[in-house]
Amino acid sequence: MFLELKNIKKSFGDGDSHVEVLKDISLQVQKGEFCVLLGPSGSGKSTLLNIIGGIDNADSGEISIMGESMSNLKEKQLTNYRRKHLGYVFQMYNLIPNLTVRENIEVGAYLSDKPLNVDELLKVLGLYEHQEKIPNQLSGGQQQRCSIGRAIVKNPDILLCDEPTGALDYSTSKEILKLIETVNNTYNNTIVMVTHNDAIKNMADRVVLLRDGKIRKNYLNEEKIAAMDLEW
Amino acid sequence: MKNPLNKRILREIKEDIGKYLVIFILLVASIAFVSGFLVADGSMVKAYDESFEKYNIEDGNFTSKNKINRAQKKNIEVFGLTLYDNFFAEVKLNNNDTLRIFKNRKEIDKVCLMKGEFPKKADEIAIDRMFADNNNLKVGDEIWDSHHKWKITGLVSLSDYSCLFSDNNDTMFDSLAFGVAVVSEEGFDFKEEELNYRYSFIYNEKPKDETEEYNRSKDLIEVLNNEIALKDFIPRYANQAIIYAGEDMSGDKQAIVVFLYIIIVIIAFVFGVTGANTIVKESAVIGTLRAMGYEKKELIKHYLMPPLIVTLISAITGNILGYSLMKDYCAGMYYGSYSLTTFVTIWNGEAFVMTTVIPFIIMLLINYLVLSNKLSLKPLNFIRRDLRKNKKKKTMKLSHKLPVFTRFRIRVIIQNLSNYLVLFVGIFFANMILVYGLIFPSLINHYQSNVKENMLCNYQYILEVPSDVFDKNHKLESMVNLLMYFNEVETENEDAEKFTAYSLKTIPGKLSSVEENVAIYGVKDKSRYINIDFKENDVYITKAYADKYLLKTGDTIQLKEAYKNNKYDFKITGIINDEATLSIYMPIKDANKMFDLGDSYFSGYFSDTKITDIDEEYIGSVIDITALTKISRQLDKSMGSIMNLLNYFAMLIFFVLVYLLSKVIIEKNAQSISMVKILGFRDLEVSRLYILATSIMVVLFIIITIPVEIWLVKIIVEVILRTSISGWIAFYLDPFLPLEMFALGVATYAIVVIFEYIKIRKVPKDIALKNVE
Repeated sequence: MFLELKNIKKSFGDGDSHVEVLKDISLQVQKGEFCVLLGPSGSGKSTLLNIIGGIDNADSGEISIMGESMSNLKEKQLTNYRRKHLGYVFQMYNLIPNLTVRENIEVGAYLSDKPLNVDELLKVLGLYEHQEKIPNQLSGGQQQRCSIGRAIVKNPDILLCDEPTGALDYSTSKEILKLIETVNNTYNNTIVMVTHNDAIKNMADRVVLLRDGKIRKNYLNEEKIAAMDLEW
Repeated sequence: MKNPLNKRILREIKEDIGKYLVIFILLVASIAFVSGFLVADGSMVKAYDESFEKYNIEDGNFTSKNKINRAQKKNIEVFGLTLYDNFFAEVKLNNNDTLRIFKNRKEIDKVCLMKGEFPKKADEIAIDRMFADNNNLKVGDEIWDSHHKWKITGLVSLSDYSCLFSDNNDTMFDSLAFGVAVVSEEGFDFKEEELNYRYSFIYNEKPKDETEEYNRSKDLIEVLNNEIALKDFIPRYANQAIIYAGEDMSGDKQAIVVFLYIIIVIIAFVFGVTGANTIVKESAVIGTLRAMGYEKKELIKHYLMPPLIVTLISAITGNILGYSLMKDYCAGMYYGSYSLTTFVTIWNGEAFVMTTVIPFIIMLLINYLVLSNKLSLKPLNFIRRDLRKNKKKKTMKLSHKLPVFTRFRIRVIIQNLSNYLVLFVGIFFANMILVYGLIFPSLINHYQSNVKENMLCNYQYILEVPSDVFDKNHKLESMVNLLMYFNEVETENEDAEKFTAYSLKTIPGKLSSVEENVAIYGVKDKSRYINIDFKENDVYITKAYADKYLLKTGDTIQLKEAYKNNKYDFKITGIINDEATLSIYMPIKDANKMFDLGDSYFSGYFSDTKITDIDEEYIGSVIDITALTKISRQLDKSMGSIMNLLNYFAMLIFFVLVYLLSKVIIEKNAQSISMVKILGFRDLEVSRLYILATSIMVVLFIIITIPVEIWLVKIIVEVILRTSISGWIAFYLDPFLPLEMFALGVATYAIVVIFEYIKIRKVPKDIALKNVE
């Protein structure tokens, strides 16, 4: 199994303010699979993504990637784990404001021994013409494409996306989803995407529905459609 | 692949050029000054050290009442030294300055020619370079006294007069009214009575250390006392004219380096604060980079680069300026005080380490600690912009009775406490420099006016008592000489009042490590000049003496005779208001008895008018206002310009710190400022919210620091005066000085307020609406 989560639990706060965010979550994702974590606000999907990404710790449970457990990794090892295996895309693009598009992508490339070709990637991202622009000269969609480029340029095993279309309009969102689909098809990265947009489940290989910290549904999508055909 | 983050370092500096530029200016100014100073100091100290060998500077000298004969010379040289005649005559020039004239030296204490040429003819003279500068004299000019006229052929530096002390017991040298000069063999045609028989000596075998040098001096004094009528003995280690400049140059170095390091530490903290603010501003980016796999150390390195680059460039620029412009300026400061020989600029590795390597390390360490601490949170905290370490920390409750704007300002202050802490330290340091710069002139002025006000009389004539009067081996002859002498020194001047003056030395103790002169005055009953009704055994000391040695009525002091082991005890009856001299006053009978001088003995006159009917031969010295204010004149000459420089520097530091830290506060609150603008607040109202908070703190810090610093400076100045300087200058605080400091601080801050206001006006309204970096 490529990505395996076993009995993950996570809670926040003490006493009266104690909240159990993840209650015994177990999940398996195959290599190259596009997995969507769906659920309403407070369902625990972002927390689960952060735990997979090694930027948050589970209270208990096991996570392993390609058979390698990351439960007992120290901060430095977790950093190496992220460096080696993960790419991150956030709702807010978090681009470096005084670096150009190209340079922002190179910031990701720097982390890998065998990064993708930046020129080719810029073309795939549709940013080749804008490569010398700085983030505030770009539209929201272009900025998000740049942040995706930064995440995938190191050709990560897993691309984690936290509400990547949350701040975008309908058509731009579809463009971004198409891009993620292209990336998935081209580079065969495993993608785990958190979203509250129900329509996106239709383009996923696996759909995991979370509510109140529990997996309510976890199934393989037999009727997968292309991103451009999504409607909401 | 090079880290692409490096590409933003120069952009970061360019985008925040205002911040980096003011820091650059402050660092360059500090480093250039310190580097220039250290290079000049190092080169001059080297030249000074080498001058002992190069110019064959004496191991000591003594002055005999009479010219010593060949047999005496031989007997003295048996002690293991070689004697050299170094006679001199002192003349009063037409402008009333004193010039000590030597024959040009060929073997010992050789003379360095700075300009022109050595005198060849009888009416030619080469005078000390600094004395010439201070009196606007140049080569080709003429100087004269009542009997001679000379043409100046050269400007020189006498290697045994790097510091122009006319008397080794003086508190301060006097390069304005005292100078030295050399004439040719032919030109040295003074009468016997005009000559001072000084003999310089070189030990055949140099003493191994200071203790041996001291012991040898003690033994030599005994030899000399047996052979000749010893008038004065000055071993090299105690000769202020030779060693003062060297010691001062070494002492200044330490102070100036500490000064630089304090500035570097403060600037490092300013960088720390601004760096921490950048981390807050870029927290989401940092969180993303950390989530992508960037290590903490990579980010620390990244954020460390701008301060380190600026420090390095500043240090290089500062050193270039130091070696070029400032070196000459700093050397000029020494040449303005001391009569040093020429020097050659030498590469100073130590200066490079002190002005480049150590500041770089200080900057690296402090910023590393600040950044490491700030970046120690988890990536998720950065992504969520949750950078508070202590999450349980509760918000301070503020009374609802306070107006909302007041609460708002209090919140701004609480939010920026760390900035204000650095600001406090910076203001404290800047004000400290300012206190020094401002207090010094007022101290000198007060000293001068105090001396004038408290002068006992306009002139004190100290008579020159012939040495044969005290010849114990020829008692009868001594008595005849004494009678003749007393007959010659009687005056018709009705203002004149006899006194006995005797000189003793303090015994080094806890308070002072220097042995200094205390003048003992024996005063007549019902003195016209000393307004004290003396009774038998009364001993009054001056206020300067009491203040310096923390003495009070009833205390007993012990003093000793110079070059001898005799000790004398004095029980203090009272204190008289003289803040300038270290003196003891007692009835003339008691004084004469104590020092075994004879009932009718006297050695000088107090007088309000000039005494003209005593032969100059019998007048050893005249203490008038010029003599008493020597210390203040010289201090003003040597330090006045430095003090002005200090004031400007203090204001620059003050401005830079307040500007940078208030800038950070505005940047930190840019989103809130933007939001209140959207809500409808005008720029002026927004400024009142944010600027007033900083203004309150700045004014508060100025008010708090001024009295503390004045108190500290008083302690420091008094400790320095007590422990390492002869004499005493009473600490005086001009009542307007705190107001002046406050006004300067507020005026400097007013300029910063303009910049703050412009910055607030420039905060765009859309920052609050954009939730992006």
